[in-house]
Amino acid sequence: MAVSGCTVKAVGDPNRPITIRAHITVDVKGLKQTASNIEDLVSGGSQTP
Amino acid sequence: MRSLGIRWMSGCLLVLAMLGPGTVRSETYELKQMTPDVQAALNARQQRFSQLAAAKQAGTVGETNEGLVTPRGGGPEAAALAEAENRDRLTIYQAIVAQNGLPADALATVQRVFAEVQREKAAAGDPIQLPSGEWSRK
Repeated sequence: MAVSGCTVKAVGDPNRPITIRAHITVDVKGLKQTASNIEDLVSGGSQTP
Repeated sequence: MRSLGIRWMSGCLLVLAMLGPGTVRSETYELKQMTPDVQAALNARQQRFSQLAAAKQAGTVGETNEGLVTPRGGGPEAAALAEAENRDRLTIYQAIVAQNGLPADALATVQRVFAEVQREKAAAGDPIQLPSGEWSRK
């Protein structure tokens, strides 16, 4: 699991702009499978990324 | 004026409710589109694979904890090999970030996950950099 920050700007009253800092937790399980498939492909495996 | 303030507050709460303090994005991150750049990077990596594997066995190139390779005293040849490999890897990593709508700083996460996979797939004796930054031989 990894945390990556982002900034979201909400526009309501132009005289009172606000910025909300949120943190999105990225589930990396799917990404790890994709990475594994890509590396298998590179090394001569048959999986498609 | 008061209603404007209430509307503003409601908007804020709505955004916060939508995001939550720790929103989990449970998705499959993948290469959704095989662009010419990505295809070229994959092809080049396939063609380079045996040479890179030999360099890693010789200890002149190592796998970093950022999903890249680095020369380790192998001279200009190892440096050129690492530079070409890293260029192609970054093309693939950046495509995953862009094609999945991830924020730009997710690139570091993508690199870290690929590094983990590289460590798992490394052959015995390959130089690998651990998450702590310490170097080891698998």
